[in-house]
Amino acid sequence: MKMESVEKPKVRIVGEEKVKLKKSFVKPWMGIKYLFKKPVTIKIPFEKIEPAPKYRGFHTLDWKKCIGCNFCGQICPARAIEMTWLEVDGKMEKRPHPKVDYGRCTFCQFCVDVCPTGALGFTENFYLTTGGLEEDLELFNWVPIHPDKVREMNEKFGDYRFPVVKIEKKADGTYVYHLRDGDKIEFKILGYGLRPPKKPASAKPATAQEKKEVSKPAEKKEEPRAEPEKAAEKPSGE
Amino acid sequence: MANLEVPRELREEAKAHDMYLHPIDKDTYELFFGPQHMATENFSIILKMDGNRVEKAIVNPGFLHRGFEKLAEQRPYFTNIALLLRICVPESDVPENIYSMAVDEIVGWEVPERAIWIRNVVLEMARLSAWMFWIMGFGNEIGLYTAGQWAAAYRERFMRLFEELTGGRVYHIYTVPGGVRRDIPGDRWLRQLRDTVEYLKGKMRDFDDILFDNYIMFERTEGVGVMDKKFALKHAVTGPNLRAVGVPYDVRKDDPYYLYPELDFEVPVLKEGDSLARVLVRRYEMEQDLYILEQLLDMGPPSGPYMVKDPKLKNLPRFKVPAGDAYAHVESTKGDFGAYVVSDGTHKPYRVHIRGPSQSHGVTVLEELLKGARLADVPVILKTLDNCPPDIDR
Repeated sequence: MKMESVEKPKVRIVGEEKVKLKKSFVKPWMGIKYLFKKPVTIKIPFEKIEPAPKYRGFHTLDWKKCIGCNFCGQICPARAIEMTWLEVDGKMEKRPHPKVDYGRCTFCQFCVDVCPTGALGFTENFYLTTGGLEEDLELFNWVPIHPDKVREMNEKFGDYRFPVVKIEKKADGTYVYHLRDGDKIEFKILGYGLRPPKKPASAKPATAQEKKEVSKPAEKKEEPRAEPEKAAEKPSGE
Repeated sequence: MANLEVPRELREEAKAHDMYLHPIDKDTYELFFGPQHMATENFSIILKMDGNRVEKAIVNPGFLHRGFEKLAEQRPYFTNIALLLRICVPESDVPENIYSMAVDEIVGWEVPERAIWIRNVVLEMARLSAWMFWIMGFGNEIGLYTAGQWAAAYRERFMRLFEELTGGRVYHIYTVPGGVRRDIPGDRWLRQLRDTVEYLKGKMRDFDDILFDNYIMFERTEGVGVMDKKFALKHAVTGPNLRAVGVPYDVRKDDPYYLYPELDFEVPVLKEGDSLARVLVRRYEMEQDLYILEQLLDMGPPSGPYMVKDPKLKNLPRFKVPAGDAYAHVESTKGDFGAYVVSDGTHKPYRVHIRGPSQSHGVTVLEELLKGARLADVPVILKTLDNCPPDIDR
């Protein structure tokens, strides 16, 4: 990169004698020999090619490993990741989990690179197609599921499609992911953002002091990851 | 029949703007060339025709404008890789590399040898797959569709290699400041690359037969769109287009980067400056690229890490670059591609400027060369100049 440090190599310039060609009337007919060779095209759906191992496809997420640090949300170039507070089996998850919108995602997988615990991963699944129905379009905005589950389905079906067939949304905020093999994942979305959502029903009658007290224990939970979260508040405000 | 007469006021207004041109007299008319036309990709030209001759050409870009340079100021350093590579679609590794080289220089990292070798191989592979893409377009423009279809099939081999190395087919998002994102998948990949190079070397003769030696190609390109040396230098034309007018300028030789000082290759130069010269220069460079890749494979990847070790990299979204600025440029198939990055010490660049080659030969030069050309020669001139619309629009 530095001009001074590198010695200029000898430039070998080639002129007309090598570069120029002679026009020919006969040679173009040589292409006919390819009529008798095997075609290179792939006859879909009778033939198929496998994606390369470690092809950058859909995400997976180990919900137990995820610490909700929002590194993925900060690095995302398309801002496709939104932190989501979930409630599984009536218990609120201690940390928010990323929700990936494939309408925005560029599949750069920088979020996987920065994940400090290795919770976020990716699979080779790449089919980003639907029938075009309104409910189909909602499929591609999901909280990724466990990698083992996706791998299990890949072995079963082997066509690298999106692991969820239908996302059912109930009136009370419960989401049901109907997976391809018939399993269901059920959870409730409590809210979005880095701050834990306030519980509306159990909240005490409000005075200013008590409000602070309520918010404190919630913040204590975040202590081990306090620093990145504080830093994360800036971009989310932009 | 309806009256097709254009109102007088409208005609006068159009004349004043110099953009609209209705059939004023019998033979003069306006033709919108592109963006649906295959040759123009995402780009269009408004041609003022006098019969079969082009009287005046006005380039009408902007279909791909996304404001890359401004967007790059609002994103962290590493994230910008996923954005800036969209500036050159067929050769997306070039913007990645120039940006990474500039950031490397500002930070002062010594990029590991293995990373340099991988980057160099990736750049050459990108060049070759871009040549294939160009043959595809050029072959289609002059009516030799067979060559275009072969090229598309051979490009698939490089896409497959890229897929295994980087995880992506077109947008690789692979080269990052400080090195590359993944290691080579193994010796099997190197063997596949060598096989591909050998295979393409054999196929080059077939391309010669069907496209480059073809008398149709000669008839269509000889003496079309002639550019002289003075004109080219005045308009800052670079790359194969400049070498076709007799200036031996190649960034890989004149301002060498990566491993190019150690590599042996020739710079083809022709004096004619017409479309034929541009085609032949490109064909010879393709051969040289295969030769360079072979040399790199003989060299073999050096052992060691593929990414610099820096504790600052642990917090990637908040990775801060010290204040400073740097310019880096590489030789792409279109020409001299450069990036100027200014840092003010925060985690986002203060300014990113991209110097694209198509800005010169895709707009001003094209408008000049199209004057007086036949309508059938317009796609030939366009494709032999080899512009890249996203680079013009940026």
